[in-house]
Amino acid sequence: MKKLVIIPAYNERGGIERTVRDVMACAPDFDYVVVNDCSTDDTLEICRKNNFHVINLPVNLGIGGGVQTGYVYAWRNGYDIAVQFDGDGQHNARYLNAMADKLENERLDMVIGSRYIKKEGFQSSGIRRIGIRYFTSLIKLVTGKKITDPTSGMRMAGRDVIGIYAKNYPKDYPEPESVVTILKAGKQVGELPVQMNAREEGISSISPRKSVYYMIKVSLAIFIEAIRR
Amino acid sequence: MNLKLQIIVAVVILLALAGIANMVRRETLDIKFALSWLTVGALVLVLDIFPGIMNYLVHLLGIELPVNMMFFFGFCFTLFLVFILTVKVSRQSEQLKRLTQEVALLEERLMKGESCKKKDE
Repeated sequence: MKKLVIIPAYNERGGIERTVRDVMACAPDFDYVVVNDCSTDDTLEICRKNNFHVINLPVNLGIGGGVQTGYVYAWRNGYDIAVQFDGDGQHNARYLNAMADKLENERLDMVIGSRYIKKEGFQSSGIRRIGIRYFTSLIKLVTGKKITDPTSGMRMAGRDVIGIYAKNYPKDYPEPESVVTILKAGKQVGELPVQMNAREEGISSISPRKSVYYMIKVSLAIFIEAIRR
Repeated sequence: MNLKLQIIVAVVILLALAGIANMVRRETLDIKFALSWLTVGALVLVLDIFPGIMNYLVHLLGIELPVNMMFFFGFCFTLFLVFILTVKVSRQSEQLKRLTQEVALLEERLMKGESCKKKDE
C-alpha cells in the first residue's frame, strides 16, 4: 500500500515546518508532498532548507489547482491512498492511520475527517456552522447521503477517487462540490470523527465578502453535479 | 445624417481598420481575433456610405429611429463578443492550470533525479 499526504501550502511560513514534522512523526508509513502554491512569503525556502519534498507551482493556482497537482502526482506515481492535509496546523496527523484503516477495512473510496460527529475540538464560528449544515442538507437532497462535514479539507481518497480528481477538480472552494462528484459516481464515502484546531497561522481564504460568492457558487456547482449524466 | 457626419464616421472607421490591419501586420493581434472587428468595421462603413440600407432595415423591423437600431445591434454584438471572450478565458484558465501543474511536476522529478545523483556520488 503506497500512501501519500498532500499538504497544500500558500504563505504558510509559520506552520509548514511543524505540519510536515507532525506528519512525519505520526504517520511514518505515509509519503508526503508539500504543494507550494506560489507563496509570496518564504514557505518555499523553509521547505528547501529542511529538505522537505516539494512540488513548487510556478504560478498561483488557488486551493483547487494546488490540491489537484497532488492528486495528479499520486495518480502517476501509483499511490493507492492520497490524503489532503492543510499546511496551517488545523489538522492533526494522529488521525491519518485511523483514516487509512477505516478506508481499507470498510472498503470505502473516501474518508472525510469530520468535526461534527463527536462535536469535539474547534467547531468553527456559528455562522459558518449554519453554512456547513446547509451544505449537508443540500448534499443529502441531491445524493441521499449524509455528509456531516462537507467542507472539511481533511479527506482521504482511494485509487479510484485519486483518478477522478486528477482528471477533474473544482478550482475554488472545491470540497462540497467534489464530494458530490464522488457520491454521484457511486463511490462509498465514510466519515471519521476528528478534532481540528483553530487556525494558528495564516488567514482563512473565506472572508465575509467572499462567503456570499462561496454559498452561491458551491450551491450552483452542487446542482450542476446533480444533473450531470 | 448629414454629409459632414458621414465623412467623419467614414474617416474614423477607415483609421480604425488601418490600425487593426497594422496590428495584424506587426503580429500584436492575431488575425483570427481581428477578423470579427474588421467585419464589423466594414459593415458600419457600408451603412455609413449607403444610408438607404439603414432606412430600409429600420422600416422593415418597425423601429422608429435609425439610431435605435444602431444601439440595439451594437449592444447585441458587444454582448456576444464579451460572452465568447468569457468562454475563451475559461478554457485558457484550464489550459494554464494544466500547464502550471505539468511544469511543477516536471521540476519535482528533475530535483528528485538530482538529489539521487548526489547520493550516488
